[in-house]
Amino acid sequence: MKALLTAAVLGMVAVALLGADYALSQSAFVATWAIAGLGLSLIVGQAGQISLGHGAFLGIGAYVEGLLAVAGWPPWVSAPAAVALAAAAGWVASLPGRRLGGMAFAMSTLAIALLVEEGLVRWESVTGGAAGLAVPSLRIAGQVISGPLGQSLVSTALLIVAYACCRRWVASRIGRAWRAVREDEAAAAAVGIDCGALRSLAFVLGAGLAGLAGVLYAHWLAYLSPEQFGLQLSFELLMLVFIGGAARLAGALWGAAVIVALPQLISLFTDALPARWGSASGVETLAFGLLIVLIILLRPAGIAGERRQAGREAG
Amino acid sequence: MFAQVLTSGIATGCVYGLVALSFVLIYKATGTVSFMQGELLMLGAFAAVFAHDGLGWPLLLAFAGAVAAMFALGALLERSVLRRAIGQAHLTALLLTFGLGMVLRGAVTAVPAATHEMHRLPLPFAGEHIAFGAVVVAGEHLVVILATALLCLGLGLFFRFSRAGLALRACSENPRVAALMGVSVNGMHTLAWALGAALAACAGLLLAPMTFVFPGMGLIALKAFPAAVLGGMSSLAGALAGGLFLGVVEAIAGLYLPEGVKDATAYALLLVALLVFPRGLFVTRGA
Repeated sequence: MKALLTAAVLGMVAVALLGADYALSQSAFVATWAIAGLGLSLIVGQAGQISLGHGAFLGIGAYVEGLLAVAGWPPWVSAPAAVALAAAAGWVASLPGRRLGGMAFAMSTLAIALLVEEGLVRWESVTGGAAGLAVPSLRIAGQVISGPLGQSLVSTALLIVAYACCRRWVASRIGRAWRAVREDEAAAAAVGIDCGALRSLAFVLGAGLAGLAGVLYAHWLAYLSPEQFGLQLSFELLMLVFIGGAARLAGALWGAAVIVALPQLISLFTDALPARWGSASGVETLAFGLLIVLIILLRPAGIAGERRQAGREAG
Repeated sequence: MFAQVLTSGIATGCVYGLVALSFVLIYKATGTVSFMQGELLMLGAFAAVFAHDGLGWPLLLAFAGAVAAMFALGALLERSVLRRAIGQAHLTALLLTFGLGMVLRGAVTAVPAATHEMHRLPLPFAGEHIAFGAVVVAGEHLVVILATALLCLGLGLFFRFSRAGLALRACSENPRVAALMGVSVNGMHTLAWALGAALAACAGLLLAPMTFVFPGMGLIALKAFPAAVLGGMSSLAGALAGGLFLGVVEAIAGLYLPEGVKDATAYALLLVALLVFPRGLFVTRGA
């Protein structure tokens, strides 16, 4: 209840400061990032594994949706296809780590992320390569959704559905098993939990949610290019989960708001700097990196997390 | 032709191997997955450019100065920031090093002199061709291979015969027992980061004559992850061998396979290695 109230107040402040259209289009992005963040928080926060390739799953969702939308497929066919393919990529990425866990996931998801980025650049005949891909507006039941209000409503509705699903999963037998695997793998295996299958399940569901976020992202941005889905995006999503606090699902929502607002605050700051202080892109990278370091050092459990440190790894 | 491609592959593999070596060294000693080796490599190369072009130091002195400066920077970063990540989740430390890497990359990019012009590091024999009978080899590749061999010989001697080297190995094998034997575990963490940074800087100095010196040159360090996994993630010699293997495979793939496959080979190999040889391609005995 308190969280809802805070969100409402924040929303009103945003509308008052930024104007309704701008605030609404930003809220569409916050909701989209939050869906991807929910997926990653299943993998990182619940199952206690590392994914360095979440940006690539989002990219697969975005590109599949973009290509099918260009080909004229209706969204209720193309969106499930995009989500399914992203989930399949998540399953493939989870295979090497099924047996090994821990670092193997970091390495295999890193490899998948770099392969997907390379594939998007090189497979020019389909993806348009580095030149990018223009995506038509989302069209639901004959209605073209292109304004900020429509985008915000669709994203928020899907976020609510995704959040409800995650809440159910986390509260269910699966969620308890994930936390058991996270805390102590040997003990989890001893009570009959199939650790490998559960890890894979976390990656399938997490990558599927990232794919869903990618579907929305493709339409909201209307233009896709491979470098949007590089390692930088994967790390931004990790930061999103970390900022909000990985141990709780609601952390993804707070993290998404911060991650969307941060680059804009930083660019306000760099615009105010005198030009001879060097290139703005360098200062932006510097400021973002510094924030990451400070948050990790000062609030290791996330800004929304008052509990103990999130996701301490066993072994 | 084939011999030239092979030596160029071995030379690139040496750079991969050195970065992988620095990564595994840090990972084994401190348990931290470092995502900033590429930035350390880049900074090392820039430090040498600054000392050579900016301060007018002779080349060898500039190289030594750059490596020493990076050694100090590694120790300083461990003492001030990275130490706090010890004992935390893998992910925390990984994000911390990624953030620090961004700080370093951003700081270099923000300096106008670093981005507005191309920098080169002259190296002895660069641009020359050395003929062994019918086989012609590019000078810079030969220098890189020889320098790597010397560096590895030095490291091998350090780990086998020096007190600090033995202590560092003991600490990587079992920190508790090492501490009971009177080894300062904290000190070894600092040493591991300092050595890791210095090694990355060496890789940067060797890479510099093959490419330009620019803020994005650290991207090559991503290839260190496949190299480290191919080497089994826990062996220093394995990491070096993994890097060499990767460099050669990439060079051969570039020769025979279509454009673009070359860059993907490393990551495809990484996936295969994790699936089929999770302990690395080589039978390891520790470093």
